[in-house]
Amino acid sequence: MGLDFVGQGVGETDGNIITTTIDKVVNWGRKNSLWPMPFGTACCAIEMMATLASKFDLSRFGSEAIRFSPRQSDLLIVSGRISIKMMPVLKRIYDQMPDPKWVISMGACASCGGVFDTYTLIQGVDQFIPVDVYIPGCPPRPEDLIDAVLQVQQKITSGASPKGVETVV
Amino acid sequence: MNEEKEVEEQPKPIVLEKLEEHHADALLAQDETRGTVVVVVRKEQVYAVLEYLKTDSELAYTFLVDVTAVDNSRMESELMQFDYARFMVVYQLYSYQGQCRLRVKVPVHENDLSIPSVTALWKGANWLERETYDMFGINFEGHPDLRRILMPDDFEGHPLQKDYPLRGRGERESFNFDKQNA
Ligand code: SF4
Repeated sequence: MGLDFVGQGVGETDGNIITTTIDKVVNWGRKNSLWPMPFGTACCAIEMMATLASKFDLSRFGSEAIRFSPRQSDLLIVSGRISIKMMPVLKRIYDQMPDPKWVISMGACASCGGVFDTYTLIQGVDQFIPVDVYIPGCPPRPEDLIDAVLQVQQKITSGASPKGVETVV
Repeated sequence: MNEEKEVEEQPKPIVLEKLEEHHADALLAQDETRGTVVVVVRKEQVYAVLEYLKTDSELAYTFLVDVTAVDNSRMESELMQFDYARFMVVYQLYSYQGQCRLRVKVPVHENDLSIPSVTALWKGANWLERETYDMFGINFEGHPDLRRILMPDDFEGHPLQKDYPLRGRGERESFNFDKQNA
């Protein structure tokens, strides 16, 4: 049971009482209900859709509630090429997400521009928004995206702050 | 069906015959590549020629598939052919009636980057011409709203011109964050 995990390293008393720290409970909740904000601008988004569909089923990890409103999301998945015209939009969406928020940069294009070393393509979104987990690949397989979500979960469990936030309250 | 076959097998496509008859002075060259007839037309007459191609009941090239351009500045062979006109504006037409395609090319000199807009003939030319303007800097005269369509509004230059550096002129770092959000 998940709650065993909450009480990890903390004494468990008789009956139904578990003692733990508030941080651990909150992080446990955050970790198991990451709501992704998809920012799919290119081919990588197809793999992201596959990740959500039944075969790979991201909902097994609590992240199936895709929100198309940044105000309801805490995990931004940047999947695809970002042009200089799109970057302000992406930045604004990132800014609109409530803290704490995490960012996955999916694929070569989002992470470093990929093969598109051209006048209009951002060479890595991490120049403008903080990225927590990078996924290599062109495109990465759905398993890679699931792995990235698990890495974000690990990060949350460990109590580490997201890249863009000084401290998690 | 038979009729179409005959048209295809004729040594000269009917569109060329008709153009030679009605717009001989506008034709600079004619060719055929992979079943598509290609005609090169003088800029001054391009509107008249396209209007003729669209409205002639026999030809009826009613569908404007695409408008784009080619920068031939590094294609010496092409340049020489058409009096060192740097750009070639290309119209792709399709006739549902004759079920055939036609490519109309128009040489445009660098010192006068303008060409009449065909938005009056095809409403769909609006965005196609905007894209050609955005990418190549060709001015379509008479266009109702000739703005950039792909690049940000405050972008400078026309990136598909061959002398535009592939990696840009620093706009990847210096693009405007706020203007586009407004
Ligand atoms: S990394 Fe590859 S698959 Fe992903 S957006 Fe870029 S080109 Fe497409």
